[in-house]
Amino acid sequence: MFSKVKTMKNKMAPYLVSIALVALTTFLGAFVRKTLEPANLVIFYLLIVVIIAVRWGKGPAIMASLLSVLAFDFFLVTPYLTFAVSDVQYMFTFTGLLIVGLVVSALASKTRQQAIEAAGREEQTAMLYRLSKDLAATDSLETVLDTIRMNVSQIFDCSAALFLQVEHTVTPSSVDSGFPINEHEKAIAAWTYENGKPAGWGTDTLPAAKAYYFPLKTSQGPLGVVGICFKESKKGIEPREEHLLSALASQTAVAIQRAKLAEVSRQMELVRQTEKLQAALLNSISHDLRTPLVSITGVLSGLLQDLSPLDSATRKELLETAYEESVHLNQLVGNLLDMTRIEAGTLKVRLSPCELRDVLGASLQVLKDKVEQRDIRIDIPSDLPEIPMDFTLMMRVLMNLVDNAVKYSASDTLIEITAKVLNDHMEIKIKDEGFGIPSQDLEHIFDKFYRALKPRQITGTGLGLSICRGIVEAHGGRILAENNLDKGATFTVSLPLARKED
Amino acid sequence: MAVSQNMRVLIVDDEKTVRRFLKATLISHGYTVSEAVNGAEGLEYSVSAHPDVIILDLGLPDKDGIEVARQIRQRSQTPIIILSVRDDESDKIAALDAGADDYLTKPFNAGEMLARIRAVMRRLLPQRERSVCTVGKLSVDITRHSVEVKGRAVHLTPTEYDVLKLLVLNAGNVLTHGRILKEIWNKTDDFEEVMHLLRVTVSNLRNKIEPDPNRPIYVLTEPGIGYRLCDDQ
Repeated sequence: MFSKVKTMKNKMAPYLVSIALVALTTFLGAFVRKTLEPANLVIFYLLIVVIIAVRWGKGPAIMASLLSVLAFDFFLVTPYLTFAVSDVQYMFTFTGLLIVGLVVSALASKTRQQAIEAAGREEQTAMLYRLSKDLAATDSLETVLDTIRMNVSQIFDCSAALFLQVEHTVTPSSVDSGFPINEHEKAIAAWTYENGKPAGWGTDTLPAAKAYYFPLKTSQGPLGVVGICFKESKKGIEPREEHLLSALASQTAVAIQRAKLAEVSRQMELVRQTEKLQAALLNSISHDLRTPLVSITGVLSGLLQDLSPLDSATRKELLETAYEESVHLNQLVGNLLDMTRIEAGTLKVRLSPCELRDVLGASLQVLKDKVEQRDIRIDIPSDLPEIPMDFTLMMRVLMNLVDNAVKYSASDTLIEITAKVLNDHMEIKIKDEGFGIPSQDLEHIFDKFYRALKPRQITGTGLGLSICRGIVEAHGGRILAENNLDKGATFTVSLPLARKED
Repeated sequence: MAVSQNMRVLIVDDEKTVRRFLKATLISHGYTVSEAVNGAEGLEYSVSAHPDVIILDLGLPDKDGIEVARQIRQRSQTPIIILSVRDDESDKIAALDAGADDYLTKPFNAGEMLARIRAVMRRLLPQRERSVCTVGKLSVDITRHSVEVKGRAVHLTPTEYDVLKLLVLNAGNVLTHGRILKEIWNKTDDFEEVMHLLRVTVSNLRNKIEPDPNRPIYVLTEPGIGYRLCDDQ
């Protein structure tokens, strides 16, 4: 890591090792100086200079070259243990050794430098690659910001913070727990955002800050600021760190921009869907609420104006129609209210042990006028256990389902209501012998405003079943619709036998 | 319509259209009507107008309807029928506990309202005049302690009989769970415990007296509130 602090000891080590290597070469040379022409020993000195240059760079290599010349002269060239030289030829050897040593050190250390830089670039590329890989896996702005923050803090071994543009300034959007977030730091982040230049710790601008701030920019303008709070021991920012940071900044800026655009388009989509839904609601309401009002208004205004002398039977019939329609209207309003409550999450489910038979009986009592003429067969075992339900809400479910069965089947057909216990839940089935549900509609039938069959004479808002689902799910249960093998449909409500511990 | 002759009804409701509809219906059925537009007036007229029945809306502009019911009940036994909107079970129970006799859920039809008024008035009759009750094929004679369905005697357990007797004495009126539990089991709290007993008793009672226990026509459930013995078959 770049921030690893090179201590004095670390810096001294290569020199000490170089001295040791020269000493070792000299020591070994001392054994062979009698048998081997000393000039041949020069080759060993050159070898260690090359090794040192490649391994530790220019400084130690130059020192090793100089030491080699001195040691060679002092220990291996006669007269020994003096810098005096008996043969002038050796002056040439010394100069050669020194020059070759220096040139080799320069070349080798340059190669080493290039290797280090290449490795650094490779590491940098790997980091950027990892970041881009991480970013590719994110889907929301929030996760994009967190990913960037975590990568930055990992790469620079620091605690990081991301500040995003909000209106005309920046606010902290994703912050490491160790990051010193306060008004002062925020002000510096804002300065960085406004001026588009790094500021804070380690820079000339506001260096008293705890963290270093770097602007995030795209071609469209500034986006935000990344704040980096290094470990205390760090001295300053190295150029290549700045370089890496700038590469990182442009990459993250693009990712943030992309996430922001995606967020905007998601919201637009949501708005569009909501608008579509509202349009559907309005259509549904204007049609279904107005239809009963048409007959109510018509009947009442007719009676009020007394335009045509009506016989009492016609009069009664008209009034009955108006009354039925007003009951229907009340039911529609009730459904809309229920739906609103379910949607708004304000539907309160008060569970208490209830007998299904009782709930069903009360539901049929309310639907009395509609079900009187129908053959409804109820098969509920007398030992069916009580289960936790909200009596009135479950009535609403059964009423909706029975009402549907009545509406979507011929008046001379049978409707069967059965219940049984299966493992840990109770299964209530309402089966009719009606028109059934077109197979392509089966999965949408519980959606809001969805109506499978839309015959004119059958009224409804397409809310009943979605209310049923809302209520059943609030009980921790499930509701299913399926077509019978022969004809008609069966709705199954399954409810847990015991209240779920939460 | 003998029962309604010279009977005075006080309507307490802030909605003019509701008062007008109630008034017209009641007058055409022989009642005398006085009107109050808020809780304060309602309290005042409940004394000064000497009503025989009070129809009280729970959603009044100046006072809580439940509180108005309580204050009226502190001074007199005049039957009170409250008007409430749907999904207000807890308000209905609170008003019934505060002394109201029955309730109507808006919107309601005129026939329902007249039936409620007749039922609460009957409560004021001496018990011996209410001791024989015949609803459809069900006949209960309290003085003779006998229950018959389609002319055949039905054997009830003492608790079942007690519950049925309470319902018969209040035929047509709603009885809250709390009231039944208090009168039969002498329970004033820990209702949850005995509620099960009540449900089982009612279920057994239905098995014995209802033509189809799955679709009761005599002992009706008032969702979330209690039970009512239907008195108009």
